[in-house]
Amino acid sequence: MATRDEKGRIALLQGTLDLLILRTLRYGRQHGQGIARAIQRLSEDELLIDHGSLYPALQRLEKQGWIRAEWGTSDNNRKARFYLLTKTGKKQLLHETSQWRRLAAAIARILGPQEMEG
Amino acid sequence: MFWRRRKDSDFAQEIESHLGLEIDRLRSEGLSQAEAEAAARREFGNVRLAKERFYESSRWLWLEHLKRDIGYALRVLSRSPGFTLVAVFSLALGIGVNALVFSVVNALMLRPLPVEKPEQLVFLQSPTGGVTHSYPAYRDYRDRNQTFAGLVAYRVSPMELESRDGTNRIWGYLASGNYFDVLGVKPFLGRFFHQEDDLHKGASPYAVLSYNCWQGRFGGDPNIVGKTIRINRQPFTVFGVAPASFHGTELFYWPEIWVPIMMEEQIEVGNPWLQERSTKNTWVIGRLKPGVSPAQAAANLNAIGADLAKQYPVSDSDSHFKLAKPGLVGDILGTPIRAFSIGVLILAGLVLLAACTNLASLLTARASDRQREIAIRLSIGATRWRIVRQMLTETIVLSILGGAAGYGLAVFLSRLLSKWHAPMDFPVQIDVNPDWRVFLFGCAVSLVAGILFGTAPAAQASRTDANAILKGEQKTWRRARLAMRDVLVVLQVALCFVLVSGCLLSLRGLQQALGMRLGFEPRGVSVVGLDLGLSGYSEKQGRNFQRRALEALEQLPGVISAAYSNSVPLSIDESESSTFSEDLPNPRPTDGISAAYYQVSPQFFKTMGIQLLAGREFDWHDDHSAPLVAVVNQTFARQVMHTDNPLGKRFRFGLGGHLRQVVGLVEDGKYESLTESPKPAVFQPILEQYNPTTILIVKSSVPETQMVPEMRQAIAKLDPHLPFFGTGSLEQMLGFAFFPTRAAAVALTAFGVLAIMLAATGIHGLVSYAVARRVREIGIRIAVGARPAQVIRLVLSRLMVLLIVGATLGLGLALAAGEVLASIVYQASPHDPEVLAAVVVTVALIGLLSSWAPTRRALRVEPSIALRVE
Repeated sequence: MATRDEKGRIALLQGTLDLLILRTLRYGRQHGQGIARAIQRLSEDELLIDHGSLYPALQRLEKQGWIRAEWGTSDNNRKARFYLLTKTGKKQLLHETSQWRRLAAAIARILGPQEMEG
Repeated sequence: MFWRRRKDSDFAQEIESHLGLEIDRLRSEGLSQAEAEAAARREFGNVRLAKERFYESSRWLWLEHLKRDIGYALRVLSRSPGFTLVAVFSLALGIGVNALVFSVVNALMLRPLPVEKPEQLVFLQSPTGGVTHSYPAYRDYRDRNQTFAGLVAYRVSPMELESRDGTNRIWGYLASGNYFDVLGVKPFLGRFFHQEDDLHKGASPYAVLSYNCWQGRFGGDPNIVGKTIRINRQPFTVFGVAPASFHGTELFYWPEIWVPIMMEEQIEVGNPWLQERSTKNTWVIGRLKPGVSPAQAAANLNAIGADLAKQYPVSDSDSHFKLAKPGLVGDILGTPIRAFSIGVLILAGLVLLAACTNLASLLTARASDRQREIAIRLSIGATRWRIVRQMLTETIVLSILGGAAGYGLAVFLSRLLSKWHAPMDFPVQIDVNPDWRVFLFGCAVSLVAGILFGTAPAAQASRTDANAILKGEQKTWRRARLAMRDVLVVLQVALCFVLVSGCLLSLRGLQQALGMRLGFEPRGVSVVGLDLGLSGYSEKQGRNFQRRALEALEQLPGVISAAYSNSVPLSIDESESSTFSEDLPNPRPTDGISAAYYQVSPQFFKTMGIQLLAGREFDWHDDHSAPLVAVVNQTFARQVMHTDNPLGKRFRFGLGGHLRQVVGLVEDGKYESLTESPKPAVFQPILEQYNPTTILIVKSSVPETQMVPEMRQAIAKLDPHLPFFGTGSLEQMLGFAFFPTRAAAVALTAFGVLAIMLAATGIHGLVSYAVARRVREIGIRIAVGARPAQVIRLVLSRLMVLLIVGATLGLGLALAAGEVLASIVYQASPHDPEVLAAVVVTVALIGLLSSWAPTRRALRVEPSIALRVE
């Protein structure tokens, strides 16, 4: 459904969205739009977040008990639903981060140094 | 943790706020309001889709769907009440019968005795089936074994109990002192007796009442403990009351009272056996020590038995053990009851199968009628899984309705059955009230039936080709579907055939058994039982009373002849003794031939209608001062005396017994069961040896129902306090002997009727469906001039083929099943041509009658209307 040109961007791998959301929330509470923007910004516009798929992911994380939500007011005075990392969420973030690092390192080893490419 | 579902509105608000924040951001980047709104929406993607995804991720979604499915199912079912009624009815019958049969099997075989750790209990019997032990031997095993935590001895005994409703002959247990302690039962009131209360002969006049006895005979007196009651006209102190759930250690013999076994001589007057190694009359149950296997325990007992055999070669020579499950007198009742239960369970399973077959064919027919509906649902986007789920939900709703109705039926019937007392002088009652096991069974059967028989039709329906159907083509999967329906009908007809033939065979067996020669003539014979021993009569008083009672009965109007004996053939009270040919001067125990024996008064044979073939009846001179005489039957003459003419010849009665001279020869009869093969029997004069158990027998020209009260009155004039037992017509008394045959006949008749009902519904459904599907075709045929006969052939030709195939299959099955049946139901022959013919006619009639209404409908089809149907 996304109408923007996707060519320059990397589609998200399955399951990585959860990790990114948790990571974003490490700096404090944030609402959905803020999370989407933060991921885009932190990835220097490399990652495209389909805003529509963000909410089911938040829903899922909330159900897992890794984040919780509360209604609050945004910087520009809009009512928004803010998400916070829970204690188990923090643990999960640590766990998933190390998992991801190991995976990335392993893939990098298989792919070899950048110079060898092409 | 309970996770509360977020409201949809809450989520919608969140999306709104998201879009608002995004618009704010875009505007701050310099876009106009309209541009920002459009971009924000674009970025978000499909708001609707997001909402839907949110909705679907909800944990309660399946419940939501289920609720909708069930609601829809109920609506659909209520829209076709005919179908629903037939389906629920079929299932209710099938499940009800199974739950009822299961509750009986549960009571007989599955439910453990209500004692502590019932799995540790074993019943001691010999490998050859002997179940009784002598009391001294019991004591030896109890004291010498290393493998049992305890061994208890008990014996079912009649007692005369005085309570507020007069003097009654009741049944109780004589039980060893450790009985309750080893079983681990806790008293409801007071206490039980213990080992130390049961040490010396006659010194423990204590009683424990059953809950029912306490309630029924003592009005639930809360101060009963410590009171004195009178048993056999002697005082006994009530120690306590047993809990309501505890009915002794035999499922079929519920005692009203437990008395310490040391009181034997007070309870079984004039027959002391506590020191008798050769009187084997006590049942023994043991509790295994933890970790001891039954095999180890049996080996332990056998080793003790070998020692006893050396010590007491005459009485304890054959002491080998097999450990059986307690509750059904070892294998004596256990084996036939288990066989019978399994047989009935199989039959019930067949009925359920027939019911489910009905359900499946109804569902298949319905699915094809609903093709249009399904096609429309498919074409507007329902997934096939959704369709299957919907149809399965309908089936399961049906099966739950059917299961609930069936379970209700089973509960009702089993209540009746639990209250029922067998028509015999014995505490035969059994608690078949359903418990959680039966409930679980009912639930499981309903669900399995629904899922198993609903899946195929549902799956088939979901394969509907929406395009073809909506275009008006109806031939997509017709061939395959009809093949399946045909198989179902054939199966049903075959099942019906088997059940109906089983039903007719057993009824015929019963009819023949009732009409067969028993070796006596029960018609017109009334009996009244008395136990003079329990009432404290001495031998002299007893003899005098017997003579006076007989004289009083002979005076009654309509009496043809009167007699008395210690027992009558085919009652539960049967004695046997070893007999020996005169040719063996020093017989060994193994030379003996076991014969049924009866002590009878003069006129006994005439009164019982036993044919005297040669010699004479006993007369009033055959008493203890006369030479020893006997009357024998033909089998006895042949087997023991090796002659057809035994008159004047002699035989030895009992090992070391005296020689007796035969003075009469009578015809063979049935003594223990209807199915026994000819058995030797000896009759001795009751005048020669007194027996306090007195069965007064009268042959009369007036009906037994009139005779019995007159007999009771006449005896009450002699002693108003004497309790009776086993009074009624002799035919009634035979209830015990006829019980297995009757039970089988009743069960099979019920199953046969069920099968007929189910098959009729099934065939009716098939033909109605065939007619409904072909209304158009029939209309065209009638329009172009088809005669009624041709229409009938069109409608019924397929049914006829199915009936014939089903009946052939059923015939084969019935012949095989008949062999099994013949072993239960006396004189049921599986090859009885009349029965088979009757079954064929029955099945054909069912076919015709159940297809009658739909066929008539076919004949009445109006071409002009039929052609406008679609």
